[in-house]
Amino acid sequence: MSAPDAATVEAARPWQGFLWLSRRECHRVLRLWTQTTLAPVVSSLLFIVVFGLSLGDRINEIHGVEYEQFIVPGLIAMAMAQAAYSNNASTIFQGRSDRYIDDVLAAPIHNWQVNLGYLVGGAFRALIIGAGLAALALPITGAPIEHPAQLIVAVLLLVCGFGALGTIVGIYAETFDHTSFINNIVILPLTFLGGVFYSIDRLGSPWEQLSHANPLFYVVEAIRYGFLGTSDVSPLIAFAVVAGMCLALLAWSQWLFTSGRKLKP
Amino acid sequence: MPNALELRGLTKRYDDGTLALDSLDLEVPAGSFFGLLGPNGAGKTTLISAVCNLIRLTEGEISVFGNPGGCMEARRLVGVAEQEPNLDRFLTVRETLVYHGGYYGMTGAAAAERAEEMIDVFDLRAKRDVRAPKLSGGMRRRLLLARALLHEPRLVILDEPTAGVDLELRHELWRYIRRLHERGTTILLTTHYLEEAEALCEEIALIGSGRIMARDNAEGLKRRFDAASLEDVYMKTVAAGRRVVEEPEEAPA
Repeated sequence: MSAPDAATVEAARPWQGFLWLSRRECHRVLRLWTQTTLAPVVSSLLFIVVFGLSLGDRINEIHGVEYEQFIVPGLIAMAMAQAAYSNNASTIFQGRSDRYIDDVLAAPIHNWQVNLGYLVGGAFRALIIGAGLAALALPITGAPIEHPAQLIVAVLLLVCGFGALGTIVGIYAETFDHTSFINNIVILPLTFLGGVFYSIDRLGSPWEQLSHANPLFYVVEAIRYGFLGTSDVSPLIAFAVVAGMCLALLAWSQWLFTSGRKLKP
Repeated sequence: MPNALELRGLTKRYDDGTLALDSLDLEVPAGSFFGLLGPNGAGKTTLISAVCNLIRLTEGEISVFGNPGGCMEARRLVGVAEQEPNLDRFLTVRETLVYHGGYYGMTGAAAAERAEEMIDVFDLRAKRDVRAPKLSGGMRRRLLLARALLHEPRLVILDEPTAGVDLELRHELWRYIRRLHERGTTILLTTHYLEEAEALCEEIALIGSGRIMARDNAEGLKRRFDAASLEDVYMKTVAAGRRVVEEPEEAPA
């Protein structure tokens, strides 16, 4: 072992840490690509093939849209929400559990940059899945993109909101089971009950009214409006609810990084 | 020149009520090789975590080369090799070093160049593309040290760097740490090995129950406590729970 040559001490570069953390998160997604991207694309595509193409002919149009097209936006939204959530929950929980998150927390990176860096990872994974599913499902079903600008806004709100939720759960979780619990017991059922496979117009009282209390319903509707130009509620209301939810979750995750609560003993 | 590290009234009470640091004051002069000796639970790791922004402090102030603890400049000046290997399981040896450099503000090219240099310095070349979980204990220890030094910190904190390593590697690490100190880097070393502290450190602080119990160089401590060895000093202070920093007149001549 010999002593190192003196190397140039780098001047402080305020964005460098954030960029490298974002890169590390994307690197992790790509390194585990079969789990992180391929599996969700295949399973969502199966839903489209089985429910859309096989049963679609036997189900009437909904709001003037073919059934196989109607389910595409909700399934893409569900896959992206789960991806953004799972990515951040697992990467932060693993970092805390193995304590390599200390290397990030000790580094000269502002806590809002750390929060943003993890969000980039979740968004990266969700966008790969969303783009992959759209590239496969749109030609198969013929589903259009009626409002691309609104779709982009809805997708950004979705990935930020669910990425932040993943961050929060990753910080609070005591075991890995806690992270999957939220996914399996909260996100998945609420998305299914949020009108992925049906219009809530077809539900009787009180289920129709109860669906309006489900925040995931507005996420599905905002994405559906972007793709199909139709939704069960006013697009304005859907976007307002999704934006409010996203901001609240971002504020919560940022508070955890700022205060160090649960991250630092 | 400001001290490398100044701690004033450092207090840490964990959520379960454990008082890990109790109004601890400490100065580590710039350029010194400073040892922190104490039993398990004395507060050594808590002190290090406080300096490295890894715990929520209850009270007190930290200054790193005159910069307030926790600020970006203070963080950039500190490199830490923690006691337990905490390496990113998704990254190879080279990636671990390059990403660490990036987190500390280095450009990709500079971090990559420095990473290759540290890989050679710590004899990690054969494991360059191996992920951390597949490394042996000794290799992990080398990588931890290489990571701590990658961004060329002015204050290097080594939390029991030789715990669990074989004799050969221990002496190899000692040689490297000595050479680093000769180049002007301030070293703060915590260890259980009294002979290690005596062999390496210019000054030693004995810590117990979250407070500094005594502080001097090895010879000074032995003289002060009329002890034949550092072990005797340790038994008379830390093990006996005595605190003599603020009451030196009570210490034996």
